[in-house]
Amino acid sequence: MKFNLDAIHIEEGVRTSPLARRVLDALPSGTAVNYVADGRETARPIANVSDPFGAGKRQMTIMRRRSSFLMACPAGSREFACCGYLVLTLASNCPMDCGYCFLQEHLADNPGFQVYANYTNAFDELERLRRNAPARGFRVGTGELADSLAFDSLTGISRDLVEYFSRRDDLTLELKTKTDEIDNLLEVDPKGRTLVSWTLSPERVFHSTEHRTASPAARIEAARRVLDAGYRVAFHLDPIIAYEGAERDYLELIGNLFDAIAPTRIAFISMGGLRMTPALRAAARRRFPDDPMLVGEEVLAPDGRYRAFIPLRLKLYSALSDRIKKADAKLQTYLCMESASVHRRVLGEVAPPPGALGARLAGI
Amino acid sequence: MSTASIEGQEIDDAIRRWAVARHLPEAHLARWLALAHEDRAVLLKAAETLHLRTGQLVAAFELLGEIALRERVTIATIMASDEIRCILDGAGSAPGRARDLLDTLRANRFPRLHRMTARLAQEIAALGLPGGIRVVLPKDLSSDEVRIEICARGAADMLRLIDAITNARASLARIADLTGTAESIDDEV
Repeated sequence: MKFNLDAIHIEEGVRTSPLARRVLDALPSGTAVNYVADGRETARPIANVSDPFGAGKRQMTIMRRRSSFLMACPAGSREFACCGYLVLTLASNCPMDCGYCFLQEHLADNPGFQVYANYTNAFDELERLRRNAPARGFRVGTGELADSLAFDSLTGISRDLVEYFSRRDDLTLELKTKTDEIDNLLEVDPKGRTLVSWTLSPERVFHSTEHRTASPAARIEAARRVLDAGYRVAFHLDPIIAYEGAERDYLELIGNLFDAIAPTRIAFISMGGLRMTPALRAAARRRFPDDPMLVGEEVLAPDGRYRAFIPLRLKLYSALSDRIKKADAKLQTYLCMESASVHRRVLGEVAPPPGALGARLAGI
Repeated sequence: MSTASIEGQEIDDAIRRWAVARHLPEAHLARWLALAHEDRAVLLKAAETLHLRTGQLVAAFELLGEIALRERVTIATIMASDEIRCILDGAGSAPGRARDLLDTLRANRFPRLHRMTARLAQEIAALGLPGGIRVVLPKDLSSDEVRIEICARGAADMLRLIDAITNARASLARIADLTGTAESIDDEV
């Protein structure tokens, strides 16, 4: 799948960078290219358009990242059981447009799609991390503030990442995506150190809410292909939207997944219910006023987010967890952004500490 | 001008008059006027018949919009349901019927939550706990935390209420479990 861009802005300081050259070489003819002194300016909301966030998705800025690349997952909190995920921010925003996406709130003030030309500096940060914690293993992903593979046909970043991680036994790379953009991956040997994960939703959610993403069937097919190419694969049922009939649809989705990929070959499956801060919910409803998925039975939860009321959430989690365990009792599952209490009720065990779960998910 | 457009104009004028009299914010008025003819007429009828306050109109409008979107029906269709027609055409005070309308719309907007809350309320009532003990469920069942409040006057009263709680120990534990377990929802999600 390919995404359309209205324009590319390249920061003067990185115009000769390998990334800028690769993008310019691969860019479809007719795309406007501008050179700018400071990429942060072009990442700001475009004035006088009805949907600045949506417009920002079609403006790519290649620029230098001024802050560190590596950080703890922003979803982590004392309130929640945590999976110990570390985030590498190599890009910001996403050409796809999911109605529930937290970036609508998180990036409201700088929605321009940014790709960082100095991304190889991230490898220095990873080396420092390894030196400071020599006995530990880490799962590091690039799919938090951007889809890991959405523009990979232009940027080719995945090849550098996979090669770097293939030489480090204490690190696992997780590329998280809703695309089927896997061509670059198939050309590199991950040596077991890269895990590609797909967010999966039932057809009904895909059609109503996950705009410009690959279909669920295409995502599963892409997963099957990278698995055959030596990658590990994982899946995120997240967000689970508790509409009427959701249980049947999600169970069918899991069935389709297991028909295509044996559960024993899946590294893990995470689950997380739809959760929206009031500001996110308002932004999402403003941008997608006709999406029925945004008017479910969510109530204001103690963490300040709208979530499906708790028995409903637990019913769904438990049904899906039972289905997964029935297929393979050893298949690792975890809950994202849920309390220790919910974790215990659904999975029947106390959530392990973040580091331990992180290492377990990384397969280290 | 056709009869229909004259009627439409009259309804719009009536809506504007209602909005001015009740200080309805401009954004809500614009949304109201942008509705289909039948939808804006039926909302006006509810506003006038039940003497809705501004906040009640805004809440009803929001609930109706959300139900309509999710169920893929029009506001007029929702308002034509038997239970809502009973409220609009029924006896009783206008403020009471206005409250009934909002309660009914909330129940339709959150049908599974409404059923679940009613079931838990039934279970709690069946415990027959004395006055002075209150089992407080989390608002909108948004968490699995259940609170028990004791309101006692004097030592004897306190001991009596504590004994009542001790006697109801198993049943109270069941309520706490129901609030935070999957089994509490019987029907398929």
